[in-house]
Amino acid sequence: MTQKYRAAAKDDLIWHDLDSMTLLYHRPSGITHMLADPAPAILEVMNEAVLSTVEIAERLSARFDLESNIDTENIVLARLEELSRLGLVAPVPA
Amino acid sequence: MMAKMHDISLKIGPAAFRIASTWQRPLDQLTDLYKAYPAPTGETVDFTVRLEPEKPWRRFIRPSVHIGGDFWLPDAAPLPLDQGLLAAEMGMNLQMALGWRRHLLLHASSVEKDGKALVMTGLSGSGKSTLSAMLAERGWRFMGDEFALLSLDSGEIMPFPRLISLKNRAIDAMQDIASENRFGPEMKATPKGDIRHLVPPPDAIERMNEPATPALLLFPRFGHAPELRPMGQAEIFVRLTQASTNYVALGEAGFRALTRFVDDVPVKAMDYQSIDQAEELIDALWSPLP
Repeated sequence: MTQKYRAAAKDDLIWHDLDSMTLLYHRPSGITHMLADPAPAILEVMNEAVLSTVEIAERLSARFDLESNIDTENIVLARLEELSRLGLVAPVPA
Repeated sequence: MMAKMHDISLKIGPAAFRIASTWQRPLDQLTDLYKAYPAPTGETVDFTVRLEPEKPWRRFIRPSVHIGGDFWLPDAAPLPLDQGLLAAEMGMNLQMALGWRRHLLLHASSVEKDGKALVMTGLSGSGKSTLSAMLAERGWRFMGDEFALLSLDSGEIMPFPRLISLKNRAIDAMQDIASENRFGPEMKATPKGDIRHLVPPPDAIERMNEPATPALLLFPRFGHAPELRPMGQAEIFVRLTQASTNYVALGEAGFRALTRFVDDVPVKAMDYQSIDQAEELIDALWSPLP
């Protein structure tokens, strides 16, 4: 069974772009996160949907001009695991 | 057994303090140094600071001042009685740092000109306090040498012009230009080095309820060849959260105030070796500002 994920609810997040990073204030925890690419893009394309890493990689490819030779799925998986530990993404039980 | 406490009230910018002490002398020194400040109006104060004997018997034998109050840190070390004034000032800073919620509090000095505020932040030893004291003698209005209070609504900086806390070399430098009657007693070899308090210039006290719009943020660094360097927003944001004592406590309001500040206010890192160099660098940045 493919693991799926859901991002934190939109209403729980306040976004703010800095020059090289993106700030994300998470209302339920009161924690300010400073994210580097591609983590903000991953949260953006997830948009509250329940998605697998393959589906997220597809959405990223559709939205952004990704280099063809990179392993997008594994990069997405690694970032999802980090975002899960921060409480910004949650694995959804099958 | 409780010893009788003496007390006084002080108003500094938006904050009212009650200082209670087992001993009269630190209060007499405070009363003298704060005599130009308006008395608090109303019955209530924001914070109480207590100066008490570390142990009851130490009131008389080698008296030692323990700092207490509404908010306190367990490791605040007692000070000898002749540093009671420093204990009171440290106690007031501690109450602000740990308890103030009406503004985003930044460890920064600030001065004003033309309705606009220059904010200077950095580690201890960066010279931010001395710079603000020096600029206050050179045509700027002194707003504070310790905390800049950033309004959560308007984004303005509110003054907090308590006594200027001069350390080590800054004492001699200011004694050369400020009149003797503005100085408190010199306290040698305190935990913060040699300390002498300086009463801010009269306009700083008269206008202590007048906020100013932040127009320039500097990260000064004393002792390096004069230079201005750009800084990235991410670094600025992180350093300001580190410079704030209540960013986390303020939650979303703090986030909104700080992101607005970082968006709106131009920033430079400034190295300098003398006040003249610093003034030249600041003037060059200040005059083209809108």
